[in-house]
Amino acid sequence: MEVDHHKDTEGQAEETSDPPTESNPPADTLATSLCLLGNHMFPDQVATNACSSVNRSEPATLQPSDASVEDSGLDEGPPPNPGTDSRTQDSECQTNLAAHPAERVTEDAAINNAQSDSGEFVVTMLAKAKLEEQGIGVKGRSSPLLETGIQESPSFTSHRDEDVTADSWRRHRKHVFVLSEAGKPIYSRYGSEEALSSTMGVMMALVSFVQSGDNIIRSVYSEENTVVFLQKGPLVLVCVSSSRQSEQQLREELLYVYYQIISMLTQASISRIFEHKKNYDLRRLLAGSEKILDGLLNLVDSDPSFLLAAVHCLPLAASLRDSLSQILQKAITPNLVFSILIAKNQLLTIVQEKTVIEDARLAPADVHLLLNLIGASSAFQAGEIWTPICLPLFNPDCYFYAYISYLDPPDCTVCLLLLSTDKEAFYSVAECKRKIEEAMLAQNSLSLIAKAQSYSVSQVGVSDLRHFMYKPFDVPDNYRQLTQFTSPEMEAPYSSEEEKMRLLDLYRYMHSRIHSTSRPLKLIYHVAERETLLAWVTSKFELYTCFSPLVTKTCAITAITKLLRWIKKEEDRLFIRYPPKYSTTPNPSKSSRSSRSDQQDTTDNGFLSLL
Amino acid sequence: MPDVPKMKKPDAKLVLLGDMNVGKTSLLHRYMERKFKDTISTVGGAFFLKQWGPHNISIWDTAGREQFHGLGSMYCRGAAAVILTYDVTNWQSLAELEERFLSLTDTANHDCIYALVGNKADLTDPKAHLCQDSDVLSEDRTDCEEARTEPQVLSACPTPPASPASLSGMLLHKQVAREDAVALYGRILRYKGLDEKGSLPADRMCFETSAKTGYNVDALFETLFDLVLPSILRKRHENQASPTVDLEDCREASGKRGKSSCC
Ligand SMILES: Nc1nc2c(ncn2[C@@H]2O[C@H](COP(=O)(O)OP(=O)(O)OP(=O)(O)O)[C@@H](O)[C@H]2O)c(=O)[nH]1
Ligand SMILES: [Mg+2]
Repeated sequence: MEVDHHKDTEGQAEETSDPPTESNPPADTLATSLCLLGNHMFPDQVATNACSSVNRSEPATLQPSDASVEDSGLDEGPPPNPGTDSRTQDSECQTNLAAHPAERVTEDAAINNAQSDSGEFVVTMLAKAKLEEQGIGVKGRSSPLLETGIQESPSFTSHRDEDVTADSWRRHRKHVFVLSEAGKPIYSRYGSEEALSSTMGVMMALVSFVQSGDNIIRSVYSEENTVVFLQKGPLVLVCVSSSRQSEQQLREELLYVYYQIISMLTQASISRIFEHKKNYDLRRLLAGSEKILDGLLNLVDSDPSFLLAAVHCLPLAASLRDSLSQILQKAITPNLVFSILIAKNQLLTIVQEKTVIEDARLAPADVHLLLNLIGASSAFQAGEIWTPICLPLFNPDCYFYAYISYLDPPDCTVCLLLLSTDKEAFYSVAECKRKIEEAMLAQNSLSLIAKAQSYSVSQVGVSDLRHFMYKPFDVPDNYRQLTQFTSPEMEAPYSSEEEKMRLLDLYRYMHSRIHSTSRPLKLIYHVAERETLLAWVTSKFELYTCFSPLVTKTCAITAITKLLRWIKKEEDRLFIRYPPKYSTTPNPSKSSRSSRSDQQDTTDNGFLSLL
Repeated sequence: MPDVPKMKKPDAKLVLLGDMNVGKTSLLHRYMERKFKDTISTVGGAFFLKQWGPHNISIWDTAGREQFHGLGSMYCRGAAAVILTYDVTNWQSLAELEERFLSLTDTANHDCIYALVGNKADLTDPKAHLCQDSDVLSEDRTDCEEARTEPQVLSACPTPPASPASLSGMLLHKQVAREDAVALYGRILRYKGLDEKGSLPADRMCFETSAKTGYNVDALFETLFDLVLPSILRKRHENQASPTVDLEDCREASGKRGKSSCC
């Protein structure tokens, strides 16, 4: 690879765009991969290339300097700890490196070349790919986007107005696009959908072309970016990321975006809309929801709940949590199915209807969507909100009606969320809130809640332990409960936003290794530049820990033993343990999970009539 | 069996309708909290209670997005007043009122009062633009002045990022003239089968406001509150509210409002 290789012109891009094979270095930019797709839009080619979701997905290392150190501890025996499934993969890193010598070279080159490469990005290249596809050569830098310009509607704010031809736009860490099968833009995280419509059109062309060959395009790799495609029904979601996350992780994130859209429109109505009119402009219905999607993506980047697919609850004395649960349990009305109390964006407690979800529990993803909705609707906090919302994992086709109100104005940190299956129940649900308010006043709950806070890792009393994330699996005690995790505050040296993100990136890396589809690992000891990490998954839990540098593996294991003991001791405070249930639905069939649209019909929102 | 809801229903219901982005939430926020700040597009509807004298008036701020269209008639059920809001710089927003929102009011009370409100007047009208203090305009209510908080100075308000023209302070082209609104008001009465003579005159019921500067905002809400009082009183004959009491209550209500600055 040429270090000063400059990919601004088509000719050079083509030079390196030989169809990659197993032994070939990866196409050096996404651009070339895509040009390649453009050039070789023949099913066979594309099938082998574009669908390559093999080991390429795993960055050889997160930071090149870690590489040699990382595997040092891996040939040691398994930790002398509980959890019989724990098994260390021997020298997995060496294997990795050995298997991809070409990659190392590529990466080194990429590092030297990082500056000049950073400007290289999907849009221009996708645009070129499109022109090529039409047999028109591209001269110079011009892309259709330059001509298109930005015609954002004045209602879009901040990054909606971004110049999509600017470098800064290309340099965003993670782009997310949503488009319809017909190639109509629906959402773009940065820049307006209008300005990007030709880009999205090209993406769609790729997707449908590959589909016509009975293949599904899954991802495209370059050293700079990973492009992941996800098709869900009539929607196509695309992520272009330079975050070094695994394809799987990025796909999970796209799934959250999809679910958030479903939570607003339901799956049934989206399918119906597109059955009815293939090139419907879904932005008509999603207009105004961009901030909700933006908010979701920001959370996905900054909150490990999404990575772990688990809910974070606020640590609280078990007695206080129980008394709050009881307050919720008593304030009920027909068709109420969930009562949720939230403080500082974390769960305090959750009480659910018995029959509705006898055999089911609220999925963490549904809770995440609810929390995001609350965050996005908090503009005017003195009011009581009543809005339809679909919980896609619970039932993607029907609506619940969410009552959202803050209990502590003007601070607005304690939020009550009541979910009913009855559209007309606002006043009776609002009455539940009054009861809850009264009871909380009587018990002085608000001031007790105000004192509750996340904990410091120093409370664990394990030296060198800087941070951790612990997610227990279904154990008899919390079986059928919400999947939760616990984690201390991120403190120095992870107090700045950048450092936080760096730690999260390390966790994401560890997570991708643990959950690698090709070679899942049970235990990883990873010596990074400024810290040492250990991730461990057993049948009982998944644990990520971060230590100061130079902590040996043995030390780390000892520390983890202590940590696990501490968590066990604090369990009642750290997790929602025995959430009570209530019974409000005289006729269970009415609202049961599987009932599709008898009473909570998807036409409730009436927008289908607008088609 | 759970208890029967005990919450006393509000005495009257007022609903804000109109396309997304016309400024419904901003208007209500300006009125209730004396502030103009950045908003997020409303989801579903938001319910507020306003003490107006001895009465509880509920206000529903609804979402203008098509996504929530079907809910509109639910929010309108039994409404005593509906504020149909449009954006003076956006002709389509007026057209939408007739096309999309008017039919939602079928569930409102038969004696429901309709107001047509052209918001964002600050963008087109120097008078509304320069109005830095909503209280100055409601001179007829000077008795309430002292109880209020310091007026919001224009510069303290975040400029809506949405409208490029407002950034430069330039006035925009006014797309909807007052006459257009007056004409629509006439059509609304006809749609409702109401006699123009027996109804409130368009003159009184067509407003131009600015949530940003506060221009005409108090006048809008308080006119409507006063107008729905008779229907409240008719509904509860037992209530002995008299005009004098009402005046006092007005002062009380305004004072209370002044203090409630939050979030
Ligand atoms: N210049 C100006 N801008 C305004 C005014 N009122 C609202 N805006 C801006 O218009 C945008 C939309 O205001 P909202 O109050 O959220 O509109 P809405 O009608 O509630 O919209 P939905 O909730 O989506 O139905 C925001 O960016 C406001 O800052 C106004 O009087 N003048
Ligand atoms: Mg609003």
